[in-house]
Amino acid sequence: MATQKLLLPYNFTRFDQKALDFVISTFGKLEEVEVTVFNAYTPVPEIETAASSVTGKLKGSLSYLSQKITEQETELKTIKQKLVDNGFADGRVHTVFQPRKKEVAGEIIDIATKNKFDIIVISHKPGKATRFFTGSRYSKVISALKDVTVCVVS
Amino acid sequence: MRFNQQGRNFMSVEEKIDIDIFKVVFRAIAESDNLEIMANHLTQLLVAALELKGCTLFALNQNSQELEVLASFGLSMKYVHKGPLLTAKSIGATLEKKPIVIRDINKTKLLQYPDDAKNEGIGAIISVPIIFNSKAIGALRLYHHDAWEISDKDIDSMLVLAENIGLAMTYTRLLNAVQTIRYTVDDIQSIGLEPL
Repeated sequence: MATQKLLLPYNFTRFDQKALDFVISTFGKLEEVEVTVFNAYTPVPEIETAASSVTGKLKGSLSYLSQKITEQETELKTIKQKLVDNGFADGRVHTVFQPRKKEVAGEIIDIATKNKFDIIVISHKPGKATRFFTGSRYSKVISALKDVTVCVVS
Repeated sequence: MRFNQQGRNFMSVEEKIDIDIFKVVFRAIAESDNLEIMANHLTQLLVAALELKGCTLFALNQNSQELEVLASFGLSMKYVHKGPLLTAKSIGATLEKKPIVIRDINKTKLLQYPDDAKNEGIGAIISVPIIFNSKAIGALRLYHHDAWEISDKDIDSMLVLAENIGLAMTYTRLLNAVQTIRYTVDDIQSIGLEPL
C-alpha cells in the first residue's frame, strides 16, 4: 500500500493534545502512514528603522522575542518525540515550523495542497467565542480542500 | 515622591510607554489585515517594549463566561493552556471594566491558578479590560518577571490601547459575519437559483 501522508496542525492546546492522541491510537500501528506535525508561528514584526529611538528601545528585547520563538520550535519537537515514543518510526515523523503570512487556516490549506497530504487531523473546540473574530479554522479547511480526508477531533 | 489626584503619595516609577512606543504598536495594528496576526504582533511588541515576561490577549465568551486566548507571547504553552479562565475566579474585576494591577502575585488572592503563575516565574500581572459599546469583550494581560510598580500614566496608556483593540476586534467580528453570509448566499445560488 502506498504511503499515506498525514498532516497534524498543532498549537499546543488541550484539543490539539486530543488530536495527537487520536493520531497515536488510530495510525500508530500502521507502517504506511507518515506524519507531519505543523505549526505556523507569527514572525517578529518588522519595525521601521527610521524611528531610531524606538529601535534603540526595542533592540535588546527583539532578540528575546526570537529566543521565545525558538523555544516554541523546541516544544514542537517534543511532540514528534511523543509520536516516536508511541510507535511511529523516527523517519515517519516530521515537523514543519514556519513563519505565517496569513491566518492559520490559510497556512494549513497551502501546505496540504502543496505537499499533497492524504489526511488532515484537526482539532475543534465547539462554542468558542474566538471563532467570531478569527472565523472557524476547521470549517475553512474543510470547505477549501478536496480529495483529502479531514478528521475533526472535538 | 509624587502625588496622585487623591493627594496620596506614591513611589515615583518609570514610565515606559511613550509616543514612540505607541506609534510602533498602533502601526502594527493598522498594518495587519487579519486579527490573528494583528493580535500576535501586538503581544510581541508589548513584550519587547515593556520588557515583559509575556502578554496575552483574551476574548470573552459571553455564554460560558470564560476568557479565551486570542493571542499570547512569551509564556509557556503549558501555562497558556493551563485550564479554563473563569471570569468569576480569574481577576474578575477586569470585566467590571476596571484595570487590575497585581504588583506582587505573592500578595493577592485574585488569581485562579496562583501556583501555576509562580511556577511560570511570573511576579506581577496587569489586566486591562477591552471594552466596546460599554461592554467588556475581552482583556489584555501583561505578565512581568518581578514585582512591578507600573505608573498610572502607563495604565492609562494601556486603557487607550485596549479601547483601540476593542474597535479592531469588533470590526473583525462584523467582517467575519458578513463573509459568512456571503458564502451562504453563494452556496444557495449554486443549488439552482439564478444569480442576482
